[in-house]
Amino acid sequence: MPDPVLLAAQKVTVRFGGLVAVDGVDFEVSPGELVGVIGPNGAGKTTFFHTLSGVLAPTSGRICVAGDDLTGKAAHVYAAQGVARTFQTPRVFKEMSAEENIRFGLEFAGRTRRHDHDAFEDAPAILDILGLAPMARLPAGGLTPARQRLLEIGMALGARPRVLLLDEVAAGLTHAELDDCAQLIRRLRDELGIAVIWIEHAVRVLMNYVERVAVLHQGRKIADGDSRVVAKDPAVIEAYLGEEVAA
Amino acid sequence: MSAMTLAASLRITLLATLALAAMPWLLSDFALSLTLSCLMYTGLAVSWAMFCGATNYLSLATSAFFGLGAYVTAWAFGDLPYLAIVLLGGACAALFAALVGAAVLHLRGAYFAVITFGLGELVRHAITYYEKSVHHTVGRVVSDPPAAETVYLAVLAIAALAVCTALLVRHSRFGLALRGIGADEGRAETLGVNARLAKASAFALSAFFAGALGAAMAVRWTYIDPPAVFNPFIGFQTVLIAMVGGAQTIIGPIVSAIVFSLLTEFLRLRFPYMFLIILGAMLIVLVLYLPGGFASLIERARQRRRKANA
Repeated sequence: MPDPVLLAAQKVTVRFGGLVAVDGVDFEVSPGELVGVIGPNGAGKTTFFHTLSGVLAPTSGRICVAGDDLTGKAAHVYAAQGVARTFQTPRVFKEMSAEENIRFGLEFAGRTRRHDHDAFEDAPAILDILGLAPMARLPAGGLTPARQRLLEIGMALGARPRVLLLDEVAAGLTHAELDDCAQLIRRLRDELGIAVIWIEHAVRVLMNYVERVAVLHQGRKIADGDSRVVAKDPAVIEAYLGEEVAA
Repeated sequence: MSAMTLAASLRITLLATLALAAMPWLLSDFALSLTLSCLMYTGLAVSWAMFCGATNYLSLATSAFFGLGAYVTAWAFGDLPYLAIVLLGGACAALFAALVGAAVLHLRGAYFAVITFGLGELVRHAITYYEKSVHHTVGRVVSDPPAAETVYLAVLAIAALAVCTALLVRHSRFGLALRGIGADEGRAETLGVNARLAKASAFALSAFFAGALGAAMAVRWTYIDPPAVFNPFIGFQTVLIAMVGGAQTIIGPIVSAIVFSLLTEFLRLRFPYMFLIILGAMLIVLVLYLPGGFASLIERARQRRRKANA
């Protein structure tokens, strides 16, 4: 029986020595949801993402994927269960071509997973969705930072995910690029049916595209719900000193 | 060789092996022993690069694996057929590498290099202690060793197998996983690569060849004792050959192993007191001016041609 919750964090806490980076966060994502995670610098967003993708084991709490408890398992187990991610600073395989980078995910996590959608079929199809088809043969390290970001999404798509974790994909993009990127993310969800969790520091953009948003502040989740409601939440406005969310 | 298909590369390896198999009946004793040395270092360097070249690890454990294999010969020679001993030597080294690898492969860079170097010393002292306290001996005599042709053919077979294995690994998902680990291990894991398993398997696989070569070569010594078979020079030499040739490639270490073996022999005969100094100076020059190895020259030429065509 398919679990209605795709990815669940239960009371997740991460401690680095005396510092509590993530503090008892509960968080759930259902299939096909597009959720934003926001928070001021140092709120623990990226650390929280590391636990969701198995890169970092939580100090306490549990991570479940489709009902299976994967707490403490290695990152490749998460990938095999359909959790794919990007990194804040793009981590593409620089020496390999763009196409080889995407093929990598297809050869490993993506190999055992099936999607009905043609868009996942092979590396050229994924390059096409991203608009990177003309650069297929170029070494990934030579692409512009914006394209490396796109390529990273493509690598994650190669893993044929059920849920895609995007860590600040819009950082450093121009306004036009940023809009394209957001449209793309929307499409991935709408056309491919992938659930997307999107961390962003540029709150304004994010709010326009997600239906639901969770707010982290000093490691705690202080709000989680409809983005229009959350934007008016006094605690959230205070956390951001009222500056960005109000718009 | 990167431009060549797998089938073509395997065919060339097979032909070269067949041609080399006729050498015991064509070459003088001296030339044959020189060829044997080339083959031994080919096997060691290619198997080293299979793991280290792809994953960017620097292992100095080759002498540990080699010595372990040699000691399998010391213990089992006379009780088991030569071929079985060679395989057993490889298997022991592989098992040892798998166990050690599972424990230390999370380390990288200088830490890993130091640990693997220490490994050779550890095994050497453990065996010395065991031999002294249990068998009251420091060395063992191999009586009635196999004929020189037999040893040559065994080493040739191991070297050929190492090259074929390296080719197959390179063209497989396993090889892709290793290259991904070398480029960015954390990223490879988030894309579904079981890095621990892949690294330990590759480490064990490459140790098999070093162990088998140690077992095969040990019969040539007639007297086997720890300082002789756990010679760190063999480990360093292997690393240098592979790096000078280009550890990311297969052809690089092969050519480099041949050049090195011939050069060492030539220098040793011509300048018996100076040869290590000359060898050392040449290495420094190479590392300074050609860090990617000789294979990078080919790659550079290829890029230049591509640019000229474009």
